[in-house]
Amino acid sequence: MTSLLPALSVLFAVVATAVPWGLPADATFILPLVVVMMVFCWRTIPGAALHPAGAVGLGLLADLMSGGPLGYWALMCLIAATVGRRAGSLKESRQVGLYWLIWTVFVSLLGVLGWLLASLYYFRWIDWWPIAFGAAASVALFPIVLYGLLWVRHGRIGHARDTIFRGAS
Amino acid sequence: MRERGSPLFRRHRPSWNAPVELLSFGLYFLCAVLLVLSRIGHGAINEARNGLVDLSGPMLELASVPAIEARRAMDRAKLYMAAFDEVDRLKKENEELRQWEWRTKLLERKVAQLRSLLNAVEEPALVYATGRVIADARGPFVRSALINLGRKDGLRVGYAVINGDGLVGRTVDAGGSVARVLLLNDLNSRIPVLVGPAGVRGLASGDNSAELQLDFLPAGATLYAGDEVYTSGSDGVLPRGLRVGVVTGSAGAYRVRPYAELNSLDAVSVLFFDAPALARTDPPAAADGMGALSAAPAQEPKAATASAGLPIAAVAPPAGEQAQAER
Repeated sequence: MTSLLPALSVLFAVVATAVPWGLPADATFILPLVVVMMVFCWRTIPGAALHPAGAVGLGLLADLMSGGPLGYWALMCLIAATVGRRAGSLKESRQVGLYWLIWTVFVSLLGVLGWLLASLYYFRWIDWWPIAFGAAASVALFPIVLYGLLWVRHGRIGHARDTIFRGAS
Repeated sequence: MRERGSPLFRRHRPSWNAPVELLSFGLYFLCAVLLVLSRIGHGAINEARNGLVDLSGPMLELASVPAIEARRAMDRAKLYMAAFDEVDRLKKENEELRQWEWRTKLLERKVAQLRSLLNAVEEPALVYATGRVIADARGPFVRSALINLGRKDGLRVGYAVINGDGLVGRTVDAGGSVARVLLLNDLNSRIPVLVGPAGVRGLASGDNSAELQLDFLPAGATLYAGDEVYTSGSDGVLPRGLRVGVVTGSAGAYRVRPYAELNSLDAVSVLFFDAPALARTDPPAAADGMGALSAAPAQEPKAATASAGLPIAAVAPPAGEQAQAER
């Protein structure tokens, strides 16, 4: 069950992206980016395992549910899984702030890539504002999601935080 | 070669792991292929999408219950907070509507007399089914919603979808029990419309924002903010006279603010308007013989009209010809 926890938690988030929350049009990028962020975090957290193929599968599910370009969120999740794995190799530094910084840089680049990819897909310049807003919101939400996933994994935050992130104590 | 100083590269990197690297490459390739197939609208992709949406329908319906209830609770709380103002407003509106009711009755009588003088043909009745939005399939590039009505309910691709306020969009995918509605403000949405009392022709296009663009207006067309926009029916798919919204903006940059609140849809009705052009959007083969008429609910028909339609589209039909499937 523990090994399935990352995939199940991301699946839960994918379903949540499809629920009619009544969010304004500008906020439509936030929930899918939370899914991408969760993939990134699960690949970053030492000991947790979310296979890239699983990340792609969950991204495809998000694509199918959103009715958007098939493969778009799968690609975003795969990139997050790849980068998250690389960022995970920094765990010896154990600085929450560093992970946050990596996510900030990563989501900025991912946003630009996503915007270009979507513009290419539709052969017209897509409105960039919702993407920028979603990316900014995801940066603000990063610690909440990260600690939330740690809580999901360990049942508590304190111990896990102290053992994993030196800078947090 | 000098070792790079960044922590990213300082640690020993794992050596080439062929299966893992190949798998990653394969996954990237798969995503690229899927994007291309999705772009060209490959049939297999659409079938897979419809199949999965159908499968996930019950789960989404269940998952959306808390969100819908929470939204309703918030709406109710807001309503309670502004209850006194709302009562005053409704009283005033009620008085105005009474006057309108009287005027409408006079006009209806006059229209009926003129129609009988002209020996005018009765307009076809609009059959509709009402369902609920079960999933908010809106992404940064897509403005769509999943509803709990499908081909089993007689729904076909291309049908207009309305709510109490006005036109919401049209169906673009239909599974057995779930359908996808492309909302008015989606990037791919194009609705031919008539604007204002003069009925100026135009095209309302979505651009993923809250309002629609108003394009292809005749040169020198004079519009005013607040002019009503309604469907022209010239695409041969949507019925004429469905309320879309009102004109905003100024000359050269006219926009349309939809009547329907597209961000928080709940109950919607699908109009079973079988126009000839539907053969293009949803060929009979795709419908598997489950066309709107063949699958009209077997229950006793009730008299009903489309709530969002202007009189042109919502001619009161003879009671026996009307069927309403409500879920």
